[in-house]
Amino acid sequence: MSTNKQLALVIDLNVCVGCHACVTSCKEWNTSGSAGPLTDLNAYGANPSGTFFNRVQTYEAGSFPNTQTVHFPKSCLHCEDPPCVPVCPTGASYKRKEDGIVLVDYDKCIGCSYCSWACPYGARELDEERQVMTKCTLCVDRIYSETLPESERKPACVLACPTSARIFGDVHDPESAASKAIAERGGYALMPEWETQPANQYLPRSIMETIDAARNDK
Amino acid sequence: MRPQLSIIFFTTLAGMAQGLLFFIALLNIEVPVLSAPFLAILALPVSFILLTVSLVASFFHLGHPERAWRAAMMWRTSWLSREVIALPTVMLLTAMTFFFITAGMVPAWLWAALLISTLGLWICTAKIYQCIRFIQEWSHPSTLSNFILLGLSSGGLLLEFLLMLWSDPGAPLAMGLISGVNFILLFLALNLKLWIWRRNQQLKPKSNLASATGINGNNIRQTSMGFMGGSFNTREFFHHQTDRVISNIRRIILLMAYIGPMILLAISMNSPSIIQIAIALVMHYIGLLAERWMFFAEANHPQNLYYQRVS
Repeated sequence: MSTNKQLALVIDLNVCVGCHACVTSCKEWNTSGSAGPLTDLNAYGANPSGTFFNRVQTYEAGSFPNTQTVHFPKSCLHCEDPPCVPVCPTGASYKRKEDGIVLVDYDKCIGCSYCSWACPYGARELDEERQVMTKCTLCVDRIYSETLPESERKPACVLACPTSARIFGDVHDPESAASKAIAERGGYALMPEWETQPANQYLPRSIMETIDAARNDK
Repeated sequence: MRPQLSIIFFTTLAGMAQGLLFFIALLNIEVPVLSAPFLAILALPVSFILLTVSLVASFFHLGHPERAWRAAMMWRTSWLSREVIALPTVMLLTAMTFFFITAGMVPAWLWAALLISTLGLWICTAKIYQCIRFIQEWSHPSTLSNFILLGLSSGGLLLEFLLMLWSDPGAPLAMGLISGVNFILLFLALNLKLWIWRRNQQLKPKSNLASATGINGNNIRQTSMGFMGGSFNTREFFHHQTDRVISNIRRIILLMAYIGPMILLAISMNSPSIIQIAIALVMHYIGLLAERWMFFAEANHPQNLYYQRVS
């Protein structure tokens, strides 16, 4: 692992309640910030469509009565080896050396969508109105802000989460809260089979182990 | 993936021009088999027009066509960038060949360069798709073979048609032989396509909901993708057609791109006629449009795992 900084999010699936506060706060900040506007088309019509950097999905697993519902926030994973970056013909997509954030330079993007094809996670969305590729910036315009109070220099989604399901930090620093959460609570990467080495990781639900243990006690 | 007309027209028209130029260069590299007037007045201008139309078509794929020049920047890492350089190179070499022919004589190095550049453009075009490792339908050398074989078959048919159009009775050409070569190319292309379809059918997706979400448990299913309207993710990565439409298009491809033209070519081997070859060419091209549509439609993108249920 390189010694450079790699900022990332660690998502705790134990406590995410699927409220979508991260989705709306992300949209609110980024549509008005340097990454915006994230346009909505036909917002009040029959087929609305919009650009979002972050989604909360819901999954079920198991069979009755041993079922679980999992709310699953999903955004760009800021891969250590991002397949979307080398395919970009213009160099608009890049991974920052200083902190590992994967960004798009809107002034260079030609809107060919090739990078979105090269992302197995569907983390990139072409903004239909601006015709440029957009994606999660880890709120790069918040976290280094000199005008915001220091406690607010975190991604908007992290600040909005009512259950602290989103941990933000440098996953290359073993002392960061994010690294400790990954190490102590079995953090895992999505689709490890494609060797993209996502920087964002997820914490598995430990409640199921507790329930299983309780059942086995009987 | 969602098939896009701009890319379908770009790859089929450029492929046909490349096939035509490949045969022209191959036939003339040692001794001039094709006459200079035929090349200067008909074959090279037709190639150049096809390449130009394909280039124009490719611009319709871009959200910001005015910035297209930037796409030549990242040739060190991006096959798309390399293609953006290779296409104008083929056009430039075609134009140079034209000027050398009108001036009198085309040097062997120029024929060789033209030959190599057509192959290079095929490699760039195919690699754009082949290098995406998680689209398992594309990530295989058969993608390149298919682009080259269909480029050669369509270019060969176009060459045969142009030769018949040009044919002066003073220089009888071995049209039966050319029909035979085109028949063999189509036969190979057909077998490759059938093999590719069999392979696609047998592919086991490496990703599934368990690896995509990491949820610990069996029988994982999505109950909500997180929004009720559409998004880029629900539009870009799926063809939005029913299974019945897909299997009908497969039949159209087999008939129009391969079997129909092969029957006409088989007849032409004994009694060549320009009408037959013209029909074969048009059929083959329509079939190619459907084939390229299917090339995109049958590619399964793992991101679709995350977008299965509205709620």
